[in-house]
Amino acid sequence: MIHFRCVTRTYGTHVAVRELELSVAEGEVLALLGHNGAGKSTSLKMLVGLLRPSSGVVEVGGHDVIQHRREVSRLIGYVPDQPYLYEKLSGREFLQFVADMYGMTSAESREAVEREVDRFELTEFLDQLAESYSHGMRQRTVFAAALIHQPKILVVDEPMVGLDPFSIRLVKDLLRTYANKGNTVLMSTHTLSIAEEIADRVSVMRNGELVFDGTVGQLRQELPAAGESLESLYLALMKE
Amino acid sequence: MSDVIQSTDLDLDHLCERLPSHEREGQVFWKLRSRIGRNQLKYLLTESRLRTGLVVGLSLLFWIGLFALFYSGFTFVVSQVGLPGVREHAQTVRFVFTLFFVSLQVMLVFSAGIILYGGLYASPETVLLMVLPIRDERLVFYRFQEALFFSSWGFFLLASPMMVAYGLAVSAPWYYYAYLPALMIAFAYIPCALGAIACLLLLSRIPHMRRIIVGGAAVAVSAIAYHSIWSTLDIAGADVLGASWFLETFRRFEFTRGEWLPSTWLSNGLLDAARPQSPDPTDLPWVESGKYLVVLLSNALILHLAVLWTGKRLFRESYSGLHSRQARVVHLQLSWIDRVADRLMGMFSRDTRLLIIKDLRLFRRDPVQWSQFLIFFGLLLLYFANVDRFRQHRSDVSVLAWVNVVSFLNLAVVGLILSTFTTRFIYPLISLEGHRFWILGRLPVERDTILWGKFLFAACGSWVPCAGLVLVSDIMLDVKLLVVVVHQVICLLLCIGLSGMAVGLGALMPNFSDPSPSKIAAGFGGTLNLVLSALYILLVVLLTALPCHFYLLATTSEMPSKLLKGEYLNLWLGAGIGFSIAIAVIVTVVPMRLGLKAFRQLEV
Repeated sequence: MIHFRCVTRTYGTHVAVRELELSVAEGEVLALLGHNGAGKSTSLKMLVGLLRPSSGVVEVGGHDVIQHRREVSRLIGYVPDQPYLYEKLSGREFLQFVADMYGMTSAESREAVEREVDRFELTEFLDQLAESYSHGMRQRTVFAAALIHQPKILVVDEPMVGLDPFSIRLVKDLLRTYANKGNTVLMSTHTLSIAEEIADRVSVMRNGELVFDGTVGQLRQELPAAGESLESLYLALMKE
Repeated sequence: MSDVIQSTDLDLDHLCERLPSHEREGQVFWKLRSRIGRNQLKYLLTESRLRTGLVVGLSLLFWIGLFALFYSGFTFVVSQVGLPGVREHAQTVRFVFTLFFVSLQVMLVFSAGIILYGGLYASPETVLLMVLPIRDERLVFYRFQEALFFSSWGFFLLASPMMVAYGLAVSAPWYYYAYLPALMIAFAYIPCALGAIACLLLLSRIPHMRRIIVGGAAVAVSAIAYHSIWSTLDIAGADVLGASWFLETFRRFEFTRGEWLPSTWLSNGLLDAARPQSPDPTDLPWVESGKYLVVLLSNALILHLAVLWTGKRLFRESYSGLHSRQARVVHLQLSWIDRVADRLMGMFSRDTRLLIIKDLRLFRRDPVQWSQFLIFFGLLLLYFANVDRFRQHRSDVSVLAWVNVVSFLNLAVVGLILSTFTTRFIYPLISLEGHRFWILGRLPVERDTILWGKFLFAACGSWVPCAGLVLVSDIMLDVKLLVVVVHQVICLLLCIGLSGMAVGLGALMPNFSDPSPSKIAAGFGGTLNLVLSALYILLVVLLTALPCHFYLLATTSEMPSKLLKGEYLNLWLGAGIGFSIAIAVIVTVVPMRLGLKAFRQLEV
């Protein structure tokens, strides 16, 4: 479903992502791991069309994200690390705006909003202005907006930062259930326990390069002395 | 989890066919704007009534003041050069209009380009919109509309009273007023669209040079404007406003009347609409004016298409290019400014010095703060450095009176600009500490020291440039030593009072929920601080300006009243200064005491 084909991205002379080759299949949850500055967020931004690769191609559903941006954006739902909400709109108005931009009719839009409101339990604050929302409320609203058009792919940058335990449970369940229905999830995260719990596969980046791509079991085989948990395996991999 | 997501029927072509059309995207954006506007209006009318009332009231006052000024000016012009239709009238008014509109035209190009840059390349909202299936040209146009609005509202506020005043002064026919809005909107669109296109081209071709190019262009335009004004005024004193001066000035500004300039089309359109029907039946003023309106409209529409076309082709590429720059790593060391400041503040305790230097560093490293400071005070310096026209007739009592009035007005202007800075940058200081209060709160420093540190930082930091500016004004106006001394005393009182008020009220009414200093300053406390500051400035300046004014007049001419004799005037002057000092003490001590009390009990 997602293919990074020899993708390189530079910032001036600094290479943020170097010749990245990575694929994510339908029905898969892939956790992208790495230290700060490893190139995770840059890779996700190239995937959703915010940045262009310096070289190489990013494909979604067989479409080049640069050449077919609108088509690709129909397939993707994106939750950025610093989500934006209009402070002077209520959650409902924001969700309706996003639904309208995906070309939904009024009836479809209402139905989609109700569906996401139920899923993320937004009823309590849905008609308040977003300026009064806590971080958790904001994050749940942004998740709802990312899923309003029922995309095939969900791209999430640091989904758990600042969330309360209730919201974390909600998001974890969502990501797993979502992929079980044949959709694709690509998330960048520092929360290794959650990656271990819900990801089918982990990809580890270091200094812009992919240093590991496989299951946690495969990583254990590769680093037999490093321990059992993803945390110890990850730290051992980074020391290499 | 309520239900599971239904897998979409992945016929992508079918899905994409359902994406909104160009027009529908526009409608959705209008819906978004109207919802935000409605919610914002509701907020302003319920939560921010003081600020809203103040802004509306002052804008109306400003509009009426400008209207009265322009009306009397145009009435004078009509009395001197006749009504529209007379050749001299057309030449004179065309000179004024073209000069006025060409200046605003240049400003609109810059402001629209800069505002579009902020909205399109540096806004988190753009990131949200870029990942939605919105056409790039629609996204650019959505942002351009904002740039158009924010850059041209000042133009409408300035130009509308002028145009209405002209229409009334020359008894213009009804179609003058009918054409007026269309002419102004079409005109404003053209420079704004040019600014937007320039912004997109600059960002797509040479993003790393954007600041240098915009800064260089701004300096070049300022230099041309400065040279034009200087050379206009640099004519022998006796000639100013005389026939030869007027002809020379008229010739010098020939370039503002170029036939290809939108400002000329607007001026000609207005002049034609205002003139009466001539005896020639084929000469129809409303048709002639309509032709200029059509020229303006057609150019605006072509540029509208050019903005869309440029946005479609360049925006995403330029966005990516701009965000491809390598982050600049700045290695900071103890600057010489900090060392000098540390030595100059030797009389304060070490804790206070450290807190002041911390605030000084934050100020120095925030271009938003010092650039605004530099622009406003730089413009004032430019004006003060050229305000010596009164010198040539200083033996004349009426001119002497004007010199005195202007010198006090200059002092008031310095104070008013300082009050906007204390409101915008000093008032939010305590609120901004909220998020990092755990650092200050846990330090072995008295809370009073923190607040006094901010007060001293504001008072000392503002006193040096303000005193310098007032001194330049006084030197250029060649006022008497007494006035210089009085001005310096008042300047010091203003700096202390305004700083005390901003720091004290900022601590008394902190806003820890908003991270933006501009939003904090725009709240109730900030607005109150601005209003009280303006009242304080007016009161202090008037209390000293009036006695000083009469004192100077009395020593140079015969004054009729007994109360204006020397002994009374000394009393007046002493009392004025005494009252000013007393008011300064009150506006410093009362807010600071209230602020200190609130700050000691503060829990974040």
